[in-house]
Amino acid sequence: MTFAQAAERHLDDVYGYLAWFTSDRAVAEDLTGETFERALRLWHRFDPTRGSVRTWLCQVARTVALDHFRSERRRTRREQLAAPSERFEARFAEGLSPDLESALRRLTAGEREVLALRIVLDLDAGTASRVLGISETNCTTRLNRALKKLEEALDVAA
Amino acid sequence: MSQRDLVAELRAVQLTAPAEVRERVRLIAATAELSTTRRFLRRRSLLLVVPVAAALAGAVVLTRSSGHEQRTGLAAQSPPSPAYRAATATPAPATGSVPKALAPAPSPTRVQRYGATIGLRVASPGAVSSAVKQALRITSSLGGHPSSVHASAAGKAGTADLVLRIPRRNVQEAVTRLSQLGTITSEQVDIQDLQAGLDATGRRIARLQRDLATLRSEPQSTERDRAIAALTAEVQRLQRAEAATLRGAQYATVRLHVATAPPPAPTHNGHGPLHGIGVGAYWVGVGSVYALAFGLPLLVLGALAALAIRAVRRRRVDALLSRP
Repeated sequence: MTFAQAAERHLDDVYGYLAWFTSDRAVAEDLTGETFERALRLWHRFDPTRGSVRTWLCQVARTVALDHFRSERRRTRREQLAAPSERFEARFAEGLSPDLESALRRLTAGEREVLALRIVLDLDAGTASRVLGISETNCTTRLNRALKKLEEALDVAA
Repeated sequence: MSQRDLVAELRAVQLTAPAEVRERVRLIAATAELSTTRRFLRRRSLLLVVPVAAALAGAVVLTRSSGHEQRTGLAAQSPPSPAYRAATATPAPATGSVPKALAPAPSPTRVQRYGATIGLRVASPGAVSSAVKQALRITSSLGGHPSSVHASAAGKAGTADLVLRIPRRNVQEAVTRLSQLGTITSEQVDIQDLQAGLDATGRRIARLQRDLATLRSEPQSTERDRAIAALTAEVQRLQRAEAATLRGAQYATVRLHVATAPPPAPTHNGHGPLHGIGVGAYWVGVGSVYALAFGLPLLVLGALAALAIRAVRRRRVDALLSRP
């Protein structure tokens, strides 16, 4: 598989993962481009025997997103911004109920990430845990916690 | 809402990348294709350049080596200069005739005491014995005789010392033939001119004889008889000495030392053939002990540091992702 084929096939997955992870579609668009630029530089290191292209691209995307989070935190500290940014006002995704979207916004980035990997991208526990760099048990625990939190938020809203 | 409904709703959400993102990624992929093509072209050019460079290098090497052969051929065809001959002359084999400069011919007109010392090396004690026999044969064939012969053999070593008396006129040939009995290890020629001494002795004898004749012409007395007796005894002593010198000078003394090669010095001090392996294993063992003693704690520390760094990084990431 060439890089162009991999990019064409898994672009939506990477974009979706980053959108869920960052909960900001505009940021996800930027990070998607950055992810594929970095993936192109690292393409020679990709080993198909160690995992699928999708998993590898998700790992690259995660690194890009973490760098983004770090720089955002530094910027926030520097500018002493306490107010929430405008991105919370934007739609999280098309087709979500307002209650669910509101509940999703209350989740942490880590919880949204595990939801994106396990539910939206439908990765198995082993692959998702490899992307996250944690154990399978920890991954499952994190997923259950996120779902429970969502469920409670929805119950409260109801 | 149950968890199952929740999961179903979440899965129903399809996030599709906007067209501009898709276009940007396609551009990136196109760059990849371009760079791949460039890499491919670079590899293809390498495929062309490497054989050409190798062929050029081979041609240069061949040309240079053939040029060297041509020069060698020219050198072989043209007569070498005297300096070249002197520089490239191979030394004569050690065995063979002695250079004439070292065995000069005795003077036919003057009385000389001629002595030569030759050291020879042979292969075995048997060769020592054979050389002794041949030396005696050469000596007798040239009219000489052995003055002393000493030969001994112990194990693989043998040695012989001969003192040969050879007529002075044949000494040059004797030295030449004796030198061919083995490999020359040392050589020495001593020539002492005795003519001046003999002339002086002759003049003294003549003077004494004149004195003797004068005394005999004087009137007889006890004193005169005593002086004549003393002078006569002195003349006889000088004549005996002169005769002895002449007799001795007729023969040259050739000292011949024949010996086997000294046994090679021991290259090891009593160790077996596997001693080197043992020493190597010993030092490998010492190195391993040191590596374990110093390396293992370092390894453990390194592993602990890596674990700590990993834990800190994970904690930082968790903290980073723990916010909405």
